[in-house]
Amino acid sequence: MSDVHAIQHLETPHPSQPKLTPTQRMLREAWSSSAFRVGFFIFVLLLFGALIYPELTSIDPTKMNVRARLMPPMFLGEGWSWVHPLGTDQLGRDLLLRCLVGLRYSVLIGCATVVLMFFVGCGLGLVSGFKGGFTDTIIMRVTDAQLSIPMIILAITILGVSRPTVPAIILVLGLSGWPLYARVARSAALAEKGKEYIKGERVLGASDLRIILRFLAPAILPPIAFVAVLDVASIMIFESILGFIGLGIQPPTPTFGNIIADGRKYLINAWWIATMPGMFLLITLTSLNLMGSAMESARNSVLKGAA
Amino acid sequence: MKFDRRQFLKSSAMASVVLSGSMINRGFFSSSAFAAQNKPINFLSAENLTGNWDPTSHTTLGQINLESFVFGYLTRAPMTPEYPDEIVYELAESMTLIDEHTLEFKLRKGVKFHSGEPFTANDVKATFEYASQPDRPAAWYPGQCRVDVIDDHTAHVNTKEFGYPASLFWFLSAFLPIMSAKDVADTKTLSSRPNGTGAFKFVKQDGNTTVLEANPDFLGGTPKVPGINFTFVGDATTRMLSLLSGEADIIERLEGEQVETISGKEGFVVNEAVSVENKYLWFRCSKPPFNDWRLRRAVAHAIDRDLILEVLGVSGTPSNAWVSPVKFGYVDTPNYPKYDPELCQKFLAEAGFPGGRGLPKLEYITSVGFYPKTKEYGEVITAMLQEQGFDVEFSAMEIAAWADRLYDRPGGGPGHMIDCGWATGSPEPDLVLRTHFHSSSKRICGIEDPELDAVLDKERGTTDPDQRRRVIQYEVMPMLADKVPSLSLFTSVFIHAMREGLEGIYIYPNGMMDASEAANT
Amino acid sequence: MKARRIRSAGRLNTKGVGELYLLNFLIRRFLQGAVVLLIVSFAIFALLRVVPGDPARLIVGGMAPDEVVVQKAEELGLNDPLAVQYLRYLGDFSRGDLGNSFFRPKSGATVGAAAYDDPSRDERAEVLDLIIERIPLTLQLAGLSVVFALIISFPLGVAAGLNPGKWQDRLAFFSGSIFVSLPNFWLGIVLAQLFSVRLGILPSIGYKGFEYTILPALVLAIGISPFIIRTLSVSIAQIMREEFITVAPLRGLGQARIVCAHAIRNASIPLLNLFGIQLGMLLGGVLVVELIFDYPGLGRLTINAVLQRDFPIIQGVAIFISAIFVFINIAVDLAASFIDPRLEY
Repeated sequence: MSDVHAIQHLETPHPSQPKLTPTQRMLREAWSSSAFRVGFFIFVLLLFGALIYPELTSIDPTKMNVRARLMPPMFLGEGWSWVHPLGTDQLGRDLLLRCLVGLRYSVLIGCATVVLMFFVGCGLGLVSGFKGGFTDTIIMRVTDAQLSIPMIILAITILGVSRPTVPAIILVLGLSGWPLYARVARSAALAEKGKEYIKGERVLGASDLRIILRFLAPAILPPIAFVAVLDVASIMIFESILGFIGLGIQPPTPTFGNIIADGRKYLINAWWIATMPGMFLLITLTSLNLMGSAMESARNSVLKGAA
Repeated sequence: MKFDRRQFLKSSAMASVVLSGSMINRGFFSSSAFAAQNKPINFLSAENLTGNWDPTSHTTLGQINLESFVFGYLTRAPMTPEYPDEIVYELAESMTLIDEHTLEFKLRKGVKFHSGEPFTANDVKATFEYASQPDRPAAWYPGQCRVDVIDDHTAHVNTKEFGYPASLFWFLSAFLPIMSAKDVADTKTLSSRPNGTGAFKFVKQDGNTTVLEANPDFLGGTPKVPGINFTFVGDATTRMLSLLSGEADIIERLEGEQVETISGKEGFVVNEAVSVENKYLWFRCSKPPFNDWRLRRAVAHAIDRDLILEVLGVSGTPSNAWVSPVKFGYVDTPNYPKYDPELCQKFLAEAGFPGGRGLPKLEYITSVGFYPKTKEYGEVITAMLQEQGFDVEFSAMEIAAWADRLYDRPGGGPGHMIDCGWATGSPEPDLVLRTHFHSSSKRICGIEDPELDAVLDKERGTTDPDQRRRVIQYEVMPMLADKVPSLSLFTSVFIHAMREGLEGIYIYPNGMMDASEAANT
Repeated sequence: MKARRIRSAGRLNTKGVGELYLLNFLIRRFLQGAVVLLIVSFAIFALLRVVPGDPARLIVGGMAPDEVVVQKAEELGLNDPLAVQYLRYLGDFSRGDLGNSFFRPKSGATVGAAAYDDPSRDERAEVLDLIIERIPLTLQLAGLSVVFALIISFPLGVAAGLNPGKWQDRLAFFSGSIFVSLPNFWLGIVLAQLFSVRLGILPSIGYKGFEYTILPALVLAIGISPFIIRTLSVSIAQIMREEFITVAPLRGLGQARIVCAHAIRNASIPLLNLFGIQLGMLLGGVLVVELIFDYPGLGRLTINAVLQRDFPIIQGVAIFISAIFVFINIAVDLAASFIDPRLEY
């Protein structure tokens, strides 16, 4: 696995530039590319928007103004106003503010769900792949069982019994999603454990736990962590399906899923309501991508310099 | 806000959807060879059927609408706001109040059920006596009754032994589908398929579609259209896209924005009708804190109903009584609770919760997916109550979860306030008033109040229609305004949209339809 | 040449004891699958008992007197202990009877003479019939959407995998980001509005023929393609760095041959795995898409059943779907072990 070798390379400091660690050099290299700066700038702007702007502004995201409802965004259609740059929703609430606050909740839901899936899934998957035999069979069949309980059953049970709150929704989405990670981690662990360096560690008498945590996990996690970004995004949107069936988070808390599910009815007359969360998501993903790919090419050039 | 073509183009561009070309022929689904002929009407219903065809087994509006095609009624009530008490005879030729406990129906001759049985007084007897049994779930009847068959075409509805006036059936006759005596004797068959004397016959249930065909023996003559496909489509946007793309001929329960979209297009007609349905905010009166009328009044004065109507747009119209303006006895109740924050605070203080302090968390339950804009105006109501210091927790639930919590139960129903509408296709006001506010029924609010019982009994016992109307207007409604066991928020406007090719369909204020004269080209 | 050595060793192994191994594998996995199904069906059964919505109350209607509700509950056997109810269900299940819907009447069939003593059960449609009636339509939808998804994803994903860090890679990520940001009902409404209402090219609401499947399938395909693109590009990029690929040109193999024979072949394992799993995602999408397009498949049946609390249908569909899952995953593992015998299953 190249990542492992890369890490090993990174750990040997280069003699010609003693002051900078490879990570620092990589960051410096990345920062010099304009793509990274643009991505970083957008990301910081979003972060500021989501975390600080709602606290600073005098507009309240839950404040309704029924008479100013369904106002279009700036420059689009008649009757827009500077006060509501992205327009207003079906109850006259400011859409920019709702999206920003929604971004907070949705990132929370998305990240927490993925972290939950990641830990449960990868943990079980690694153990299963590494141990093999009976343990493997049991864990994988449990995974199959969980995988085959349709999400909607979990949703109507858990969200039907308790009030749909943020933790309940994370639980539903996380429970129905972890098998994915378990299977991926298991097959990665299977491929990895046959490699010479793991066999070597075993001969040296390393405990299973040590091998899993010290060697298998670092080898497997980076690619999985990389792909998890897309899962965070998809969960932020997928949550709207719950709102669609009437099991979404209760108002007035805005989440992307909520805004989309409630705005759907207005799509033909007021397209902006259900569209804006998607736009925010797209911008977020693009900024992450810009930074990510700049980092990767920086890493490659640093590695080349090192080799 | 107006929606125009340019705006759609912009929105599409924003969403990186490439839009090319202009509007091409919309009717690509229908072959022009049949254009001159009448086609079956494709109707999309907003509500699912129950699967039990026994009309006394349910209160589902969607199915009541379907029954209006298949079943015959003694009379029909067009219920226009101008003449709310107008009656048109259908299976009956005349209706006479003989004495306080006897209502005579002279029946039309030569009418046949779809199953081939002739329609006689025995069918009226079977229907009334079966459907008025107290264990029939629909419970539309004011009480049990006996029917005396005078001859094949004369029936006397007799209420003497059950102690209420027969005049209550006057308006109700327009709402009670007449079943065949043979079916009533065999409830198995009764619930397996609908069998009436209406303009359309039941053919089959095909997935979500109920297929009906024209009844050549219909008393008003063979309908022009060959049949009706009655399909359940739960999603409002899907129903509208269906109509716009030509898959459907007529759809129901449109919301304001959809009306805007459709009226902006050529080839469609929108039908708006003030309905029999009022939407209410029901208080759980049988448990604290809403067992105290002062607290109920405080809530009633905290709600600005104008704002709710603004949210609803065309789907609602103001009404200041507990029945719709198209019902018998409607009045603009003079002391109907108005938005008045000061009065609200006064009642809050009197009830022992000044400024809302000390009040428990109040749960306000509503449904999403059936009634228009419940979640939207629910959020508005929640905000208005919070403004006055009520600690309100808003729960918008999907239909099944909401329906499970809807009715009163011993110790009080779940939550503290619940949103629900009540629609009955008859001008008879007792279908609302007695059903909900008399201690013998108290379906949702669970109120038990001797004064209310007394005034409702007095109203039911008054035989003279004019006098009864006065009792309702000057005694029942004002007392309800004082005690507010529920707050009537507005009267629903039922909106149907149809293709221009569909003509001559009559839509009753409860959504029932008459397509016997309709043409669909 | 490490990887190649292992691969050929694996091949030899398969040839030698292959059939026995396969049979053993199948028997073992099918037995395990049956156990999993048993557990899952019980879990579903138990979960659905917790869901708010008293079936007896729902059947007889909200205003029915309490005695009627109690009587109905007794009739349906809802008062028995959960285990008893489950065993009874299993017993019926083994005879191919998944129960009857609470609400759906049998298709138009008039029930003849009163030969049955329990009217509420026999007038209702059999859940099995309801499912079997709808499954071809949903399979058609799912199948077409997978085809669409592959058509969309393959060029993007493979190009990105072969050119990591270049514009192809960015294009793949960017289109993936767009696809993932489009909620499926948003896309459904926009496409229906565009193609069916405005342009009148494709019908979409309802079902009267194959052409009604195209738009819903497209919406579903766009929903799953980001994951296929991602999996393809990541695994192809990874495989292209492996030794046996990097040395392939030295053996005189052309670029096209390398990509087709080795890279895609090896990348198909994670892809297969993904399919076993993304089926859940696909199904979540099917629910919404079928409802939006009024497509008469399993998804619409399920949503309507959920909204009506038609428990026998929800239960039947859920168990049916679980069975499909379990067996598809066996098939996926089997296929993966054929493609790469290194994997132990």
